[in-house]
Amino acid sequence: MVRIRQYESRILQEYHADKAPAWDIGAGLIPGEMHLSAGQEPAAVGVCAHTKKGDAITAPHRPHHFALAHGVDMNAMTAEIYGRTTGLCKGKGGHMHLFDPENHFSCSGIIAQGYPVACGQALAMKRNGTDNVAIAVAGEGAANQGAFHESLNLAAVWNLPVVFVIEDNDWAISVPRAASTAINSNADRAAGYGIPGVRVEENDVEAVFEAAGAAIDRARAGEGPSLIEIHTLRLWGHFEGDAQAYRGADLDTVDERDPIPRYAAALVESGDLAEAQIDDIKRAADAEVDAAIQFAVASPIPAPEDALLHVFA
Amino acid sequence: MKTSTTTVGMIANPASARDIRRLVAHGGAVTTHDKLNRLQRVLAGLAATGVERVISMADQAGIMDGLGRLAERASAEGWPALEFVDQNIAQTGADTTAATRAIVDAGVGSIVVLGGDGTNRVVAAASADVPLVSISTGTNNAFPRPVEPTVAGLAAGLVATNPHIRQAGTYRAKKLIVHCGDRVEEALVDVAITDTDGVGAGALWDSTSVSELFVCFAEADAIGLSAIGGHVQPTPRRSPTGLALVLGEPVATIVRAPIAPGLVEPVGVSSVSVLVPDSTVVVRAAGGVVAIDGERMFRFGPANRPAITLRADGPVVVDVTTTLEHAATHGHLAAAGVVGRGIRPGHEALPTPVGATKPNPRRYQREDTEPTRPLHRNGPHQAIRVPNPAGVPR
Repeated sequence: MVRIRQYESRILQEYHADKAPAWDIGAGLIPGEMHLSAGQEPAAVGVCAHTKKGDAITAPHRPHHFALAHGVDMNAMTAEIYGRTTGLCKGKGGHMHLFDPENHFSCSGIIAQGYPVACGQALAMKRNGTDNVAIAVAGEGAANQGAFHESLNLAAVWNLPVVFVIEDNDWAISVPRAASTAINSNADRAAGYGIPGVRVEENDVEAVFEAAGAAIDRARAGEGPSLIEIHTLRLWGHFEGDAQAYRGADLDTVDERDPIPRYAAALVESGDLAEAQIDDIKRAADAEVDAAIQFAVASPIPAPEDALLHVFA
Repeated sequence: MKTSTTTVGMIANPASARDIRRLVAHGGAVTTHDKLNRLQRVLAGLAATGVERVISMADQAGIMDGLGRLAERASAEGWPALEFVDQNIAQTGADTTAATRAIVDAGVGSIVVLGGDGTNRVVAAASADVPLVSISTGTNNAFPRPVEPTVAGLAAGLVATNPHIRQAGTYRAKKLIVHCGDRVEEALVDVAITDTDGVGAGALWDSTSVSELFVCFAEADAIGLSAIGGHVQPTPRRSPTGLALVLGEPVATIVRAPIAPGLVEPVGVSSVSVLVPDSTVVVRAAGGVVAIDGERMFRFGPANRPAITLRADGPVVVDVTTTLEHAATHGHLAAAGVVGRGIRPGHEALPTPVGATKPNPRRYQREDTEPTRPLHRNGPHQAIRVPNPAGVPR
């Protein structure tokens, strides 16, 4: 979780560094929108602690935490975010389009589109006779998309090895759940498709770890799909530059709900972690992030004449 | 502040029945829609007994909003006036505690609880002596007995509106107190000592991780850890004692116990002893995690071993069967005391059919209940003294 947080914190810093004084989303070394995942680390770490070679993840527009937790190479990912030829998509995808065939990792800015893709991946895994699983990740707002419901239905009908993960961070951009969703927990929606649905509260990595482990074990054992909704926290804006005026009093308590200091304190209290180790872990993460950013910045920008290479249509 | 209006409290845990036991066992789904449906049935039962006001826990998870919408529909005509506790919402058990305190302070005659053992535990800790009517919407439900919500609503209303029925239909449950350092917790069903690594997802379903088990009551037809005790030495919920079990090696007996829905496991039991009220047992394990009513709560080490005490002064609980039988045999469910569709205040009860003999309430008396007095003739509020069942403190 610390590795992800240090990464996101550094991207935050680098992203804003050359967009001042006049805000220009297209300016700087990292042009375009940026959706950072600080606060949602427990979801990615708790789930990906159970993934192995051959497992697939489809992530949404806020993908960095799942990419890092699943084992996507930090250098190649960072180079992609910086639009460099050494990036995962040779610099033509950007931060919302990280495709890593080796690790079966993909993400997309199109809401809920990873759900049907995961069903296809899971069908392939099943037909190939592997015990791999496909994990589809989306936000709570995405659960109102047709693709979400169609995917749950298809996965249940075909008994596919899929784990559907909903990251409920309370906000679909600026829309609170109650304004868009007729029910309070998307875990309930699993019942409509005859699959188990659980909700993990309090953004607790150990609780996510156990629930995800149980869901992934079920899928590997041929017992079919399941749904896990994780109540998590969007620590920062929907995108960088989002003033979050819509968030009201919810913002007042954000810092005290940060899962990383809370978990560190619990580990220190239980004797599993020494205070000094916290700094060591941060330093190690910072060094890795530094190296990744240096790699990205030192890599070449795609040549204009290559604009039509490696793209569809 | 006491109120002269007959008021009942409602606590519905919006988060119950969604934990990991849907994955590791076969726990079912109880959706928000299901919970609202059950609350509608409760309200119908309450209305039929003349309850005028209901105060319900507030939440941001769909129960309060849903009830508010339902209350505006024509089908809600005749419901008690519905109010919600004015409270800050943390989306944790603290909401239940705060709501219970506010409901108790408002002077309610009973509280209807929708949840599992965990929800009831939190309510019971704050319910003072207000009788609880528990409806199962949780996963493992040893404390709430299966009951149709309409009937539960009738029972809650009868207990709230009539002190004689309250006396006849309620009893005081046992509880377990856990002392661990500065920490004090209460359990309504069981306390388990486990060797799990941490609290994790909360719910406990792996009996092999349990080394010691303390139970308030142990019913052979229960679901959850207390069933282990129930299969070794059944201990009724209204008996004065509990059980302390040591599990694992050296195994003296093996029982097959339903630990969670759809999960029946062989469990090795090393020893069993009776827990008597107010005696304290210090756990044997030098470290581990304490699970209370099936939910892992906190870690402990050799410096702060938990101490468990059985107490007789648990929450006051409504026995729905006894309540309804008492009300029926004493005429409280006849027209005079019942307001509802088809029978309205002031209307006569249906005449006795020609040729029928006068109903004899003793005909309906269960063998395990105390003698029932004949139907009283001087109105529904005549005092009917019913002796306490043996061994049940009040």
